[in-house]
Amino acid sequence: MDQERAWIEQALQGDRKAFGYLVRAYERPVYNLTYRMLGDSAEAEDAAQETFVRAYTKLATYQPGRKFVNWLLSIASHHCIDRLRRRGRAPQMSLDGPSPPEWITSNAPQPDQVVSKKEEREQVRQILDTLPPDYRAAVVLRYWYDLSYREIAATMDTTESAIKSRLHRARRMMAENLQAG
Amino acid sequence: MDVVERCEREQQVTEMMSLALDGLLDEVGRQRLQQHLDTCPACRAEWQAMQAVSTLFERSALVGPPLGFAVRVERRLESKQKKRRRTFGGVAVLTSSLSLAGVTVAAVCLVVLGIVAWQWLGDLQSVQVGMEAASQVASGMGLVGKGASLFLGDLLLRYGAPLLFALGAGVAVLVGLWTWLFVRRPKSPQNGYVG
Repeated sequence: MDQERAWIEQALQGDRKAFGYLVRAYERPVYNLTYRMLGDSAEAEDAAQETFVRAYTKLATYQPGRKFVNWLLSIASHHCIDRLRRRGRAPQMSLDGPSPPEWITSNAPQPDQVVSKKEEREQVRQILDTLPPDYRAAVVLRYWYDLSYREIAATMDTTESAIKSRLHRARRMMAENLQAG
Repeated sequence: MDVVERCEREQQVTEMMSLALDGLLDEVGRQRLQQHLDTCPACRAEWQAMQAVSTLFERSALVGPPLGFAVRVERRLESKQKKRRRTFGGVAVLTSSLSLAGVTVAAVCLVVLGIVAWQWLGDLQSVQVGMEAASQVASGMGLVGKGASLFLGDLLLRYGAPLLFALGAGVAVLVGLWTWLFVRRPKSPQNGYVG
């Protein structure tokens, strides 16, 4: 933690080598978030890079009382939500509801069965793809980062009750998709 | 049970399911949920589906970026900073040129104002000495200088208000540009990094 603070201080003075240490320390959580949100490795890398560039240029606004990784995740999640909204890939709510993931409707192995990491990743992507951007971000932050409702709310600049509601609705949507299959 | 009541009940039950998955449902809530699930096949199926998705997510590990990610971030940062420096340089040149032009125009206007003031106040004893000195300076400007001063003096007399407005606007723009340059001045980069 002290080392992290020292790197942040040095980066604030324009030392990009120190910022490089921060990049290497947090590239995995940031990339995972962008990948889970966007579902495409090339786009995820671009979004993760952009997250660090924005972090570097906005480093002066970082408040030391906050976890640095959560601050990075906040930048990444907002950026991904903007991207998803721009590309209009967010699922449109319809009476029929979003189409269920392929693994649910096909004869492919079910989640409780052994599947390769790649297949598992694809299953996760298909499920997350059915959620609107805001819901997706809340689900990813809850499951992959084990953040509390309060931390997710702070990361997404909203209230705890909004997060509770998003998680509840997201889980219901995912369960309904699963049952529809 | 009417439709509205049933929906409200379902809403409450799925909220409890969500809280239970996050480990935030207390003992009383868990018992109420279990009692409901024992008697409601629809909610039980939904609960099992939620658990299946939850289990899949929980066992899915963090995905890391491809090798060399940090180096690519460094390159991108460098590229952005170069672009920013170019933009900054362009604005700096523009601002300097405009400032120089503004100072030149202001100097010429001051000379013209001096000449006009001399013409108006030339017969007053108190400024006679100063006017004579100004007259000598003006005469030193030659024909072109006199012509220009007469032209500018006439211009100022005819269009004084719009010119003052333009002058004020110009000063405001220059102050804005200098402020932008000061605020956005790039920090000198120290060390690059190799990921």
